[in-house]
Amino acid sequence: MSFVLSLLVFLPLAATPLIYIITKMNKRWGIYSSFALGVIVFLIAAYVSWKVYAAPPAGGHYLFQEKFSWINFQFLGLDYFLGVDGLSTPLIFVSALLTVLVIVGSRELIDHHEAEYFALIFLFEGAIMGVFTSLNLILFYIFWEVVLIPMFLFIGVWGGPRRKYAAMKFIIFTYSGSTIMLLGFLYVYLGMSGAGMTPSFDIPSLAGRIPLGMQYLPLLASFIGFAVKLPLVPFHTWLPDAHVEAPAPISVLLAGVLLKMGGYGFLRIALGLFPNASAQYGWLFLALGLFSMFYGAFAAVLQKDLKKMIAFTSINHMGFVLFGAYATIVSGSLLGIQGAIFMMFAHGLAVGCLFMLSGYIHHQAGTREIPLLKGLGTTMPRTATVLVLASAAAMGLPPFASFLAEFLVITAGISAYAIAAISVLVPVITAGYFLWMIKRTVFSPASAGASVHDLSWTDVAAFSAYLIPLVVVLVASYLILAPALPVATFLKGLA
Amino acid sequence: MVDFISVAIVLLAASSLLLPLLQLTKGGSWRLPGYVLALVLSAVLVLVGLSTVSPTSVTWFGSLLSDDQLGGVFALVTVGVTLAVTVASFETQRGSSNPVYYSLLSFTALGMLLLSYSQDLLMLFVAWELMSLPTYVLAGFDKKQRSNEAAVKYAIIGAMSSAIILYAISLAYGLTGSTQISAVVQGFYQLLATQSHSSALASLAILLFVAGFGFKMAIVPFHMWIPDAYEGAPTTVSTLLAAATKKAGFIAAIRVILAITTVYVLTRSPLFTMANVFAVLALLTMTVGNISALTQRSMTRLLAYSSIAQAGYILIGFVAYSANPGSTAATIGMTGAILHVINHAVLTSAAFLVAALVIMQLKRDDLGAYNGLGRGMPITAFTMSVAMLALAGVPPLNGFWSKLLLFLSVANGPFGWLALAGILNSALSLGYYGWVVKRMYFDERESSERVAEPMWFVLIFAVLVGLIIGIGLFPQQAINFASGAVSNIGH
Repeated sequence: MSFVLSLLVFLPLAATPLIYIITKMNKRWGIYSSFALGVIVFLIAAYVSWKVYAAPPAGGHYLFQEKFSWINFQFLGLDYFLGVDGLSTPLIFVSALLTVLVIVGSRELIDHHEAEYFALIFLFEGAIMGVFTSLNLILFYIFWEVVLIPMFLFIGVWGGPRRKYAAMKFIIFTYSGSTIMLLGFLYVYLGMSGAGMTPSFDIPSLAGRIPLGMQYLPLLASFIGFAVKLPLVPFHTWLPDAHVEAPAPISVLLAGVLLKMGGYGFLRIALGLFPNASAQYGWLFLALGLFSMFYGAFAAVLQKDLKKMIAFTSINHMGFVLFGAYATIVSGSLLGIQGAIFMMFAHGLAVGCLFMLSGYIHHQAGTREIPLLKGLGTTMPRTATVLVLASAAAMGLPPFASFLAEFLVITAGISAYAIAAISVLVPVITAGYFLWMIKRTVFSPASAGASVHDLSWTDVAAFSAYLIPLVVVLVASYLILAPALPVATFLKGLA
Repeated sequence: MVDFISVAIVLLAASSLLLPLLQLTKGGSWRLPGYVLALVLSAVLVLVGLSTVSPTSVTWFGSLLSDDQLGGVFALVTVGVTLAVTVASFETQRGSSNPVYYSLLSFTALGMLLLSYSQDLLMLFVAWELMSLPTYVLAGFDKKQRSNEAAVKYAIIGAMSSAIILYAISLAYGLTGSTQISAVVQGFYQLLATQSHSSALASLAILLFVAGFGFKMAIVPFHMWIPDAYEGAPTTVSTLLAAATKKAGFIAAIRVILAITTVYVLTRSPLFTMANVFAVLALLTMTVGNISALTQRSMTRLLAYSSIAQAGYILIGFVAYSANPGSTAATIGMTGAILHVINHAVLTSAAFLVAALVIMQLKRDDLGAYNGLGRGMPITAFTMSVAMLALAGVPPLNGFWSKLLLFLSVANGPFGWLALAGILNSALSLGYYGWVVKRMYFDERESSERVAEPMWFVLIFAVLVGLIIGIGLFPQQAINFASGAVSNIGH
């Protein structure tokens, strides 16, 4: 039995107090050691991802499995059970990469309580790794909840003027959603035990075994939990507030990592455990996904705050994830789920880059209001270049990976219902508002007397770390699509 | 064979009676009585712990008391809380040379110890009074107006509940001719099997027990004295009331009421089962507690309502047990209930002692005093945050596991709505628990200077936070411990 995944989860968790003490003593050393630790975790994540790519496990099977009995009482059996497949590794990889980049970006943008901040970054990272590797529903739920605590503090302590409101709204929305999700898990367990079947919380042993009659209520319960996280319109109202108030590096984690928990949950649990009920209501989920895509796109057009615009882009993109996942269930085309996984990877990096950039622009130009940002092309040429490239990545222009993700999802959607072809309008609207934003900020005359600092070359290097992987995975799309194939085949086969 | 419990009883009785004598020693240190009591309580804790490892089921005094694991769990919890309160009192009673305070604490601990092991209704009543009477005095120990008001209110309500219990005991004796709990239970079963005047009286006795114990357990609608008493009493004493004497109410209820629960109450309509009575009480208690807590402006009142709400969760275990004793769900439910008793004792002690420290150092009890506490008193604020999150049931802290067991025990079956109500209540409760965390870390403080955090408080906080996180990460041992006690329920 290997302990690689436990290392991935507990190395960051165990380092939390150490990072706190080091940063408390010396801020500079704290940032260096955080960076070093982040890189180590990233290397482990990259190793795990590579292994899964090299030999993708068959559908419903997992690599690097670890299983111990944790609690055993009466008929209640809880395992400590970890494992990864082609669905989890892209998310693990992108989470570890974003954590490193967030540490780099935080060195300038975070200016108080640094010790607590860097310690919480690793609490967050460890818990997120736990969410993406847990194969036991209760363990999954525990990590899921632990993620909330650092995020609540990030927004509330390091956030903008309305941080307290945003933090409370965030915790109340997400905690309510997840307690209902827990109730769904308990329902499955007790229902199976009551029906004389061997109950379990282990995802592999539950897959395909839950009778249809027992799928509806837990699907509804977990839907609420995941829809809040994704977020799906109309469960999304916490997101714009949280993003606007959160400091830029935290927005990166929020959009790049935390929202993926919702998409991951839909694929792993809603489709993986309740496939038949999901298939019956596939049209409804498709419609909800489509609505979210359009709503996110239209709402983004109206935003004046650059960050809020990117936040609504997130809602728009995460709609694609749900849409793609259920397109596969309805039509049988594997491209939907592959596209959804691809989208989660691409969205994490593209939107992460934009959020971090908005933080720099705010820091250096003093505002994030699109109408007030003028002439970035002449005053801040390097910033403007990165902004144009990152916008292209978010719009889904080649050579960035979002292009392929949107293409796959829309293709699968059309093969499900011809009317879903209207989804091609979403990238059009997205391109429209991004280009309009670029026209107003980059290609406008600079206001007189504006002198602002441009990005340093170090920062440009950090930003290219977001964008280069996007180009790489478009060229070598098999890196993600090949391990995702058995997952898609397996989930389709269940329905 | 050494009889640990008798040694513990003798030790506590001796310290209760002898501590006031220290007042006679002229020029004696004011610290001495507290240290003596802390030592005695630690010794008692060790003795009770040893007896819980291997319960002997020895009975004393013509089977008035018996040493079983159920009693052991409650004795450990109540004596442990008293020890924490005693240690905290080193600081809050600093400079006051009144050993009577510690003597009263010792009497209360003795009462709770005897109550935990009681097997006879009269022994139970005597222990109940031995526990309650000193707390009436302690509640008014500040001799301030609020404190006196709290003490009087508490004493009147307490006397009333004692009278109700005594009346129920007299009915039980009249109907069954015994005060031995197991004999009373047998007698009640026989009476309730028939339909007669006696069976109606038996039902009345059961309901009177529910009401009488309910006052201590903080069950709605017997809860109205709680917020005033907890707010007015010295906060260390409130800790004792919320974390220890309340748990004594639960052991009494488990010993007496749960033993006779499969029966119908008053009429033989299927609506009037004990399980339904408990279910309605649980729902009311959780909901009223949580909703009232949302609107409080003082910390002790907020904690008072929070502890009412937590009593509602514990009652869910009673529902699972009385719906079908002997079933797996009953075992899980009562294990959850007893685990929640343990967890709640730890969490309430932590929260109330934080409030006590804040009142001592800042002379304020309103929630505004907690603004920016993360900077002024970092250890205190951290303890409070952990306790608040655990009370809300956030994993992986200890409160999560007991709630999980409680909800699991009723989720599948006729009381599934109660699990849903419990989970929604948990989500609702984060509204005020989270608000406290928000105040401590997000809001600004009026003055920026550090406030002293005395050593004894830091020591208790460290132990309590260790328990909260320790039980949270390794719940198996705690679950085994609680489930060992469940086998002693019923006869």
